Amino acid sequence: MAGLFRRKAAQANHHDSAADDIIPIAQVQTREIVRVCGHVTRIRQRPAQGLPSLVVTLSDDSGRATAVWSGRRSIGGIGLGRTLVVEGIAVQTPDGPTFLNPSYTLLNVAGH
Amino acid sequence: MKIIIAGAGSVGRYMADQLLASGHEVTLIDNDPAMARKTAGGKGVAVTLGDACELDTLTRADAANADVVAAVTGDDEDNLVISLLAKQEFGVPRVVARVNNPNNEWMFNDMWGVDVSVSTPHLLTALVEEAVNVGSFVRLLSLEQGKARISEVTLATSSPAVGRSISELGLPRESTIVALVRDGHVVVPRGDTTLLTHDEVLVLTAGDAEDAVREVLVGSKQTPAGS
Repeated sequence: MAGLFRRKAAQANHHDSAADDIIPIAQVQTREIVRVCGHVTRIRQRPAQGLPSLVVTLSDDSGRATAVWSGRRSIGGIGLGRTLVVEGIAVQTPDGPTFLNPSYTLLNVAGH
Repeated sequence: MKIIIAGAGSVGRYMADQLLASGHEVTLIDNDPAMARKTAGGKGVAVTLGDACELDTLTRADAANADVVAAVTGDDEDNLVISLLAKQEFGVPRVVARVNNPNNEWMFNDMWGVDVSVSTPHLLTALVEEAVNVGSFVRLLSLEQGKARISEVTLATSSPAVGRSISELGLPRESTIVALVRDGHVVVPRGDTTLLTHDEVLVLTAGDAEDAVREVLVGSKQTPAGS
């Protein structure tokens, strides 16, 4: 888990330059840490046999990605229409690139 | 392929030897220097000494370039942590985990980064059930976290399928009979193959087709053995 915390720390330190390395979802490569930005277009809760998880679909102009947070039913601030920056390593799935427990940054306020 | 095996016990060492013999690049991780030395005596298996539940150890074992990570320690908690790290931090395409206590099996899913879980006690139970049960539906193998299953039925005299050909059984589209074992011989099934009493029928089912398949091959409703 240390990498996650390292990434979070690095992200906090370089928050101003966060936009620099954001890539379109369609260009996401697996096996490397990437950062994408998109609108939340779908939120599902998946009670996977007792372990809840939050499955969020992010869309940008180029495509769709999925972020999964395990052990959570909701995350404060993540709602439909919000813009999120998500950072982590993606795995290719039928739902597009999928991030497992990525670090995230909330960008705007819903409905504004 | 580059394969990392976490846990150099008898299971891990055996896998390492077999996979090496098949031409794969194998790295074993164990935090017990004695275990690691035992392995290092072997030929060609790389050994990383350290706790596979720690990111640094996995980094040293080059998990970032591994095609497969197999978490096969004797400890289910460790296997889950290793699986989660492999998937979440390194995006390893295929993560295989060993389930030691069948009561923990429900946790070994994609939420923990596990693509395939193998439970030895469960497998043994299923094989014993398969050996002793005639006329009941025994699950042998789950694929893709239970989305598809291979199951076995030994047809009892009372089975509605006896005496009918496969094409007239009316099996659901999400299922197919993959093999028949008749008098110790494997019969490759065709649509016109007629099922007989005591045939062992191996059937592949996907999704929710299982109940319908059981209805066709066994008849009356019955709880599945070995789930």
